Amino acid sequence: MDDTQIIDLYWDRDQGAITATAGKYGSFLHALSWNILRSHHDAEECVNDTYFRAWNAIPPERPGALRAWLGRITRNLSLDRWKAGRTQSRGAGMETLLGELDECIPDHRGPEQAAEERVLAECVSAFLRGQTTDNRYIFLRRYWYGEDIAAIAKRLDCGESRVKSALFRTRKALRAFLEKEGIVV
Amino acid sequence: MKAERLFRAIGLVDEGLIEAAAETPAKKRPVWRRYAAAAACLMVLCGAGAVYLITGGFRGYGASAGGSGINNAGGAADAVTFMSYAGPVLPLTTAEENPGVTAERRTDWDFTPRTDPEGYDSQWGATVTDSYVLRNPTDTDVTLTLLYPIVGGIKDLLSIDPSVTVNGEKAETELVIGDYAGGFGGAGGGDTSTLNLRYPSQWTDYQALLDGGDYRETVTGTQIPADMPVTVYTFTDFEAPTEQYQAATQAVTFTADETRTTVLSYGFEGYGWDERTGEITYSYFVPDGQRRSKTDKKLIVIGTDLTGYTLQGYQDGGCDSGEEIEGVSCTVTRSETTLHETLLTLCREILDTMEENPGYYGWLSEAAEILNPETYCLLAERALEQYGLLSDKPVDRYDSGRLDELMDEVLSVDRVLYLKTEVTVPTGGTAEVTAQYWKAPSFDFACSGSEHRNLQGYDLMTTLDSTLAFTAQTASVTHAENVQITGQNIGFDPENGVTEVKLDPNQPHYYLEIQPVPKETD
Repeated sequence: MDDTQIIDLYWDRDQGAITATAGKYGSFLHALSWNILRSHHDAEECVNDTYFRAWNAIPPERPGALRAWLGRITRNLSLDRWKAGRTQSRGAGMETLLGELDECIPDHRGPEQAAEERVLAECVSAFLRGQTTDNRYIFLRRYWYGEDIAAIAKRLDCGESRVKSALFRTRKALRAFLEKEGIVV
Repeated sequence: MKAERLFRAIGLVDEGLIEAAAETPAKKRPVWRRYAAAAACLMVLCGAGAVYLITGGFRGYGASAGGSGINNAGGAADAVTFMSYAGPVLPLTTAEENPGVTAERRTDWDFTPRTDPEGYDSQWGATVTDSYVLRNPTDTDVTLTLLYPIVGGIKDLLSIDPSVTVNGEKAETELVIGDYAGGFGGAGGGDTSTLNLRYPSQWTDYQALLDGGDYRETVTGTQIPADMPVTVYTFTDFEAPTEQYQAATQAVTFTADETRTTVLSYGFEGYGWDERTGEITYSYFVPDGQRRSKTDKKLIVIGTDLTGYTLQGYQDGGCDSGEEIEGVSCTVTRSETTLHETLLTLCREILDTMEENPGYYGWLSEAAEILNPETYCLLAERALEQYGLLSDKPVDRYDSGRLDELMDEVLSVDRVLYLKTEVTVPTGGTAEVTAQYWKAPSFDFACSGSEHRNLQGYDLMTTLDSTLAFTAQTASVTHAENVQITGQNIGFDPENGVTEVKLDPNQPHYYLEIQPVPKETD
């Protein structure tokens, strides 16, 4: 079923919308959440919450790109759950992801210059558009989809060292880009 | 935590980048630009008859919803900006640039509650009666081709229920379908993509669209069918172990030289391109007789034909290595024809499906009662040539070559629809022309929490793109006791008996905002 038809089901208030969403994107959303939480139980709950959010948001929403739209919800729910549960030593995957990203943020400017997330997102989008296709792909698979390095290397049919190297260079370049843009988080 | 903010911000990067990273290291834009340019040239040659065009989604909903009705010109600075904009009532015009007649116009909004399909009376929208007295001051009879414009989508026509009477007799009218009235844009926040529909959101958008007459002239031109040769692969007779694998998927993989071959698809849910091997994969969930999916799949090849392809079944739509399964099969039929014939066949299939199973297409199904396959086909070709892969600059929304969304959106997007008929105005005499239709209001979504949730907005353009010389215009409201006027720049005062007001034809735009009067049972 194409996305338009799935969205139409939401608009029709047809609960088949949830089934269709789960059938098409359930595995993707679960993997996305698991990459952050490393807990199948928690990931399952985040995915179910995603369906609930989608049900409440459509209508009036009519997402232009359903996969990315759902993924954003799952991603944020998973991050929130990770924050709530990290005292219980959950989410080793997230600790690693954030540890890597920490080095991208310039920190020598004052907090008064803190950027809004959306402005930051625009800058990151602009930065990524300027990267090579492979570097952009590797960066997003790692930090949007939360995929581990071995999985990315398998997708690209290359060694893990190449993925690590690409991530290292891209993070350095992102830091320089954000500094140039005067961005501080 | 710094990294957490960056992580959240990365979550907001462009959807286009996310989609591109979803399946393959890089997505290839299918290659049809050369053919698109050729098709565009053909369109220039066109010239006659009714023409039809494009569309997409529900007006103003979702990501494409725009604020609407902001009326900061023409004395309407206080008008509400609505989330869903219904477009203005437009004036009668003619195919002749200088019709040589004068016109007196009277426009009425009738707020009698409307009975909805479920049988309930609903104070939603208004019946618009737009009447004209055409006067011929010359010494010869004048025969005119009248064009009455209405804003809406093809799928709205049944509920709009428009009609035209000439001298009291119902006129035979031809439906002339204009192009998509809006544009395309990103999701906001600096997103420069063209993934979303951008409907007109205020009366000035229609002013920009129609002013100068180019839109109307294009509509009344003739369209040449897209007769470029194509090779079509049709997939039928699907089989798969769907009891074991509910999302069993059939993948079709081939290689093609993108400079020579372009592919349009219909009925395929998945697409991927392997940058390293050059392999292109289309995939679909195998129909199981229960899932709501299109039963006929097509790959339409423009340019050099495929040299071969492989079929492989998978457990699900991921088509991941290691998840191959046996028992997935189909019949593939190859044929050589033209793009027009292919799309015409597709249009017939879609319209037949709509008639046989209206629930499949939902609200789009009403279009099946309006359109014939030939018209639908020309609209789809026009959309491909303007925005799709036959364009020299396809919008992101259609650049994958998937016809599925495009074919649906042809039926749904807002356009200007013209009712075309003829009238003869005798020398020294008059002819009376009246158009009547139901007009949906502009509104804010009920769940939005907006302070304007219960408001209904209506716009009126006095002379926009009309060839008529107006000597007088009047506006009126009927059954105004059912509504409370909360905003206007017209001058109605129903409580004091002022339900009819003279308008200034030199003022381009008037607006009216109302709320239903609560009933005792409300």
